Amino acid sequence: MAKPMDRLETMPVSRRSRATRNAFRAWSLVVFAFLYVPIAFLVLFSFEDSRTPGLPFTGFTLDWYTSLPENSQLIGAVANSIVIAIIVAAVATLVGTMAAFPLVRGGIRWPNAARVAFTMPIMLPGILIGVGLVVFLAGTLDIQLSQLTVIAGHLVLTMPFVILIVAARLQGFDRRLEWAAADLGAGPATVIRRIVLPLIAPAILAAALISITLSIDEFVVTFFTVGSQLTLPIYIYTQIKFGVTPEVNAVATLVMVGTILALGLITLVATRGRRAGRAVVRRVRGGR
Amino acid sequence: MTAQAGGPVPGLPAEAHAGSRGAALGRLWPFGPAAAVLLFLFFIPLAIVFVYSFWTVQNLQLIPTWTLQNYLKFFQTDTYIRTFLKTIIMAVLVTAAGIGMAFPFAYFLARYVSTRWQRVLLLAVIIPFWSSYLVRVYAWQAILGEKGALNWLLMQVGLISEPLTIFLYNDVGVFIVLTYVYFPFAALSLYSSLEKFDFTQLTAAQDLGATPLRAMRRILLPQVRPGFITAMIFVFIPIIGEYLTPTLVGGTKGVLIGNLIVNFYRGGAFPAMAAASFIIAAFIILLLVLFRRYLQLDDVVTKL
Repeated sequence: MAKPMDRLETMPVSRRSRATRNAFRAWSLVVFAFLYVPIAFLVLFSFEDSRTPGLPFTGFTLDWYTSLPENSQLIGAVANSIVIAIIVAAVATLVGTMAAFPLVRGGIRWPNAARVAFTMPIMLPGILIGVGLVVFLAGTLDIQLSQLTVIAGHLVLTMPFVILIVAARLQGFDRRLEWAAADLGAGPATVIRRIVLPLIAPAILAAALISITLSIDEFVVTFFTVGSQLTLPIYIYTQIKFGVTPEVNAVATLVMVGTILALGLITLVATRGRRAGRAVVRRVRGGR
Repeated sequence: MTAQAGGPVPGLPAEAHAGSRGAALGRLWPFGPAAAVLLFLFFIPLAIVFVYSFWTVQNLQLIPTWTLQNYLKFFQTDTYIRTFLKTIIMAVLVTAAGIGMAFPFAYFLARYVSTRWQRVLLLAVIIPFWSSYLVRVYAWQAILGEKGALNWLLMQVGLISEPLTIFLYNDVGVFIVLTYVYFPFAALSLYSSLEKFDFTQLTAAQDLGATPLRAMRRILLPQVRPGFITAMIFVFIPIIGEYLTPTLVGGTKGVLIGNLIVNFYRGGAFPAMAAASFIIAAFIILLLVLFRRYLQLDDVVTKL
């Protein structure tokens, strides 16, 4: 992969360029410290003995974790968040993937306007979406706020991401593969199922997983659209408002670990998928 | 095989028999559900907010009076306008700090790090970004709080004898935490621009007699400008609508316009809420229109 120039160029040629490079390296360390030190302390304090987390560290305990399963409010909030996220991801992925096709392949009169319209919910702050939804759903339509209204709110937020991710994948799609399949007698449905979907599957999966993560994490839109129910972020928020306790640190640590695992899964799926996608291409191209 | 002019050729790609109205519709329908979601859950709600911003409220009842009173009140009330201006200043400062931190970092990544490590380090930036927003804000309690690491460190060094409370529940805390929260946006946008830059151009410029700084200014900066503008937009705009960070680390002193909107909402002052919302929406849309040429949303989103 590396071009021969790369080595030459990154080779320090003078003392001065070496110093520059070391300064950059030091700065990157500062950046990573900035990114990770708060998280490290958050995790550390979740093991702290004392009721008010902080330094000096008084003693190590796992109590804050072991007592969590008994916290029915928390468990309910987590269950709520997971159900909402799964529904949101399913709908957003389906609807968004469908929309990506005409967006990339034409058929829409003003594709650029459509693109702008679809990116608007990402660009505008969530608070505006929340305000709009609560005014429209609860005010104008007189709908009771519930999980359903939360799902509606999350759908607006996640669908644009799905569209963008799948559209980016479709953009680089070699249409000749489809034409070849059609030439060989495959109907449109078969072409979609056997050629198109396997090739864009990694993008679809990544989009679904990103939708889940976004939904589980979403605070502001949920804050406006949720009724009396709790979601995980709303639960954590009310706890923090109540006061900083080691339990919150324990919950926060678990949330962090959970999302990092999800991220690992996304990366894994994406690379696996890319490989599988390449395999399809090889089969189609290499086969007779 | 040539006698099939007319009717659609079975299995030929859509383009081959496009043009007929039916075919156009056939390609358009997948767009329908998404368009409906967008229309009913985004555009119509925002339009209603706009309409409400001209109404008034009496005894918790909305009255369609069509007045500019809500907007006038917003711009005439000292606290409102001050909060609005403070929000903009905060957004400017955080954007500057975020880009200031992210540029040397992204530059280092794109220029000095092998492709393989670039991916690893980028992932290390994205991981905190994907871990819960709320948790990242909360994490700063552990640093800035009264029993936090910073106070402990300062006391250990002997600079202070009592824990300070000046780090949290004011604008300084909000600034630090917002910079933290939005740094990955800035880093990603700048990196996607720098990644495409051919750094041998800098060497070439210097070979031709330019000083390193001049080479940077004349060769590098013009080419990565889109990245800068994307970074600005991605950091600046969400901060305008920030609610959570000012609430959790700003306390009563670190209020931003998002808090104002929520306060209106809680107090049942829906027209005031609508007007304030629409003022920031208009402000943001204006910015987006001005900078639309530089927006590389796909670049950033697909890198997440």
